[in-house]
Amino acid sequence: MKQFKSLLRWVAMATVLGAINTAVVPHAQAQTAPRKILVVASNQDVPNFDPHVATGYSASALLRNLYDPLVRVEGNPPQVKPHLAESFSVSPDGMEYIFKLDGKAKFNDGSPVTADAVKYSFDRLVRLKKGNAWMIAGIVDENSVSVVDAKTVKIKLAKPFVAFPHVLPWLWIINPKLVEDNKGSDDGQTWLKSNIAGSGAFMLKRAEPGNLYELEKVASPWKSGGGNLTGAIWRIIRETSNQRLAVQRGEAHMALDLTSEDMDALKDKPGVVSIIEPEFRTFSIKLNTEHGPLADINLRKAISYAFNYQAMLDSAGYAQLMVGPLPNGIFGHDPKLVVPTTDLDKAKEFLSKSKVPNGGIKLTMVHVSGLEQQRRIALVLLDSLKKLNIELDIKPMVWPDMVASTASPDKMADFFPVYQTANYGDPDNIAFAAYHSSRNGNWQNPVYKNPKVDALILAGRAETDQAKRQTIYLDMQKQIVEDAPDIFGVLEKRKLALRSDVQGFIFTPVASNAVEFFPLSLK
Amino acid sequence: MIRFIIRRLVLLVPVFIGLTLLVFTISHILPGDPVKLAAGPQASAEEIASLTREFGMDRPLPQQYWHYASGLLQGDWGQSVLTRRPVAADLKIYLPATLELVFAAIILAIVIGIPAGLLSAITANRWPDYLIRILSLASIAMPRFFLALVLQLVFAMSLAWLPLNGRFPIIDLPPPTVTGMLTLDSLLAGDWLAFTTSCEHLLMPALAMSLSPLATITRMMRASTLDVLQQDFVLTERALGLSQSLIILKYVLRNAFSSTLTVIGLYIGWLLSGSVLVETVFDWPGIGLYATKAIVTQDFMPVMGVTLSIGFIFVLVNLAIDLLYGVINPKVRYQ
Repeated sequence: MKQFKSLLRWVAMATVLGAINTAVVPHAQAQTAPRKILVVASNQDVPNFDPHVATGYSASALLRNLYDPLVRVEGNPPQVKPHLAESFSVSPDGMEYIFKLDGKAKFNDGSPVTADAVKYSFDRLVRLKKGNAWMIAGIVDENSVSVVDAKTVKIKLAKPFVAFPHVLPWLWIINPKLVEDNKGSDDGQTWLKSNIAGSGAFMLKRAEPGNLYELEKVASPWKSGGGNLTGAIWRIIRETSNQRLAVQRGEAHMALDLTSEDMDALKDKPGVVSIIEPEFRTFSIKLNTEHGPLADINLRKAISYAFNYQAMLDSAGYAQLMVGPLPNGIFGHDPKLVVPTTDLDKAKEFLSKSKVPNGGIKLTMVHVSGLEQQRRIALVLLDSLKKLNIELDIKPMVWPDMVASTASPDKMADFFPVYQTANYGDPDNIAFAAYHSSRNGNWQNPVYKNPKVDALILAGRAETDQAKRQTIYLDMQKQIVEDAPDIFGVLEKRKLALRSDVQGFIFTPVASNAVEFFPLSLK
Repeated sequence: MIRFIIRRLVLLVPVFIGLTLLVFTISHILPGDPVKLAAGPQASAEEIASLTREFGMDRPLPQQYWHYASGLLQGDWGQSVLTRRPVAADLKIYLPATLELVFAAIILAIVIGIPAGLLSAITANRWPDYLIRILSLASIAMPRFFLALVLQLVFAMSLAWLPLNGRFPIIDLPPPTVTGMLTLDSLLAGDWLAFTTSCEHLLMPALAMSLSPLATITRMMRASTLDVLQQDFVLTERALGLSQSLIILKYVLRNAFSSTLTVIGLYIGWLLSGSVLVETVFDWPGIGLYATKAIVTQDFMPVMGVTLSIGFIFVLVNLAIDLLYGVINPKVRYQ
């Protein structure tokens, strides 16, 4: 009992001391960042720093500051700009690219960025088949990249791919010497998971998984210009409301994952700048065109016309309705495309031509468990289907189960909602991922296939004449609308909040939350 | 007592084998495809198959279990399919953060709950008792995440007395890692400023976490104390003229505390496994968030690692509680 009393006494003293300390010592404003360190609030961790393995926007954000690609993307509309390559040329058939490297470019260990390093990086990416390797899968192979001289590299494509320059900003060049020195038995994957071998303007100073990542600007970056930042902190704040409060209090300079409600709450808050911009991230509801009642095109069209698009738009917050399969504003998109709008008479007309002219069936929609936005849209669909005497069973599922259900048409639900982020600013990105039949069995395009659409997508990839390419994409959009494989949804606008002392930020609708720090300054 | 401890520790072995078997089986028979998810949307069937082989998921389930169990014996807790990080390395980061939070919460609950329960029993059916009972009921009824948000709004946003979230100011370097618990590490480093700073960060989440155990401890303590107060020996002590404070603090408290101690042991396990909401609100990089993400993505190895570590701590804490019974009440004998 004596020991217990002493323990109790100790605990009580410690608590009281703690309380007194808390009360008398004003909370140090330690979280307030020094002026030149940018604090970015994001809800996504960065579990892997290997530029040829890591995926996700957080990884893209940090990698684009730690490593350099041959070219970069900036501006609105997004444009490809020289980077490690000070210039590049392309053969008339679009199959061969020659890159001239910037003579000043050097890795952060002082060694120059050479054509050998470019070849080494591409070969490793192709060999590993991980991370962003999918962007050049089948396009660049192990024989594609060759060294012309120390500062000139040639890439010969295995298949035509006009969008090649648009994917290059996400393919980073690594320092071969450092990777070879730490290659191990897994091609350096273990080492690069937590070490950096890049030429970027920043270096990794501190990594606290699940909490924060601190970058420090290199003493003399090879690139000239840029902002006045001395460092940046990627702070993981999971709740969007906490991100909002952090920006409001000045504890973060930038919040990347805000909701429409957060943006409304930030209106007129002093020192906060709201950015609400359209970007190429689509939301649509995929229909099971291969199995079950929705294999009937007339039923699909009936549902497309019965759907309440305005209710979906209202529930989506800051958003705009999609006009067809491609995101509004991207090259090749046709804003005048005739797409289904809410029209009950037309819906009933198509229903009468279907195999279930009186409805009386029950369909299923899955959505990601806990994703409120998808649940609301499922309710809009439920309400819309009632008008056709069709019931809807809404099933929330965890994402891995949803992914597994796309393996074959018989496993897939009738309705499958999907967000698709454009990884590069070219129509090929969404077109190929979401509508090419080679992607069947995958969540981006579980079942839809049409040889005509496949041919148009491949033609779009190969056509170097912009006018002809535009026509190809117009034809593709018309054909997809005709097939009605999706209920075309909304483009949710990107919602960012910045402190007003952040200077030099230019919004880009491609990977807009993977922010590049180099051009930024703090007042 | 030594024999008792050894026997309990030996009994841990079948408990853990059972636990690994149970969690392994459940996590592997669930529908879903974590490898396909990890491979990414653009991965080909060949790439998915290669990743499946890499993680040994193409082998029969008993073989997979054997591989996992033998790895555990060598300190290999497996690797996350999604992040490809070793689970042991992740647990080393996340587990101390949650332990610090849970221990702080339980200490707060004990320090406030026991005196409150005693006071409530002594003043039974008078206004302090009513007040404490109402507050206890309200505390049990109030969800932790709601209190967490209220605390943030009041103490961080309005009064600006305490930091909004996190474990330490992001600009400052934390004390050198020894235990992973920042309060302890700062004390070990002799850094008083770091200690007070980490206490400031800990206070609100610990308070939010402590609410439910605090209310339960208060109510348990009240009920046990009322029970003990009816015992003959208390009447005898009163008849002998011992002071009320001596009777309560020396005799009643000791007898009434045993049942409360059991609840404390159970609550530590409950808080360990239920920390996710508070961790989310305060961005506390702990095991709750780690486990939730792993569960949602069906990332088996982290789920197994978290379950085993919580199970291990829970069993050890309850062993410690069993030993404490003897410290509090020497009549308790270990057989």
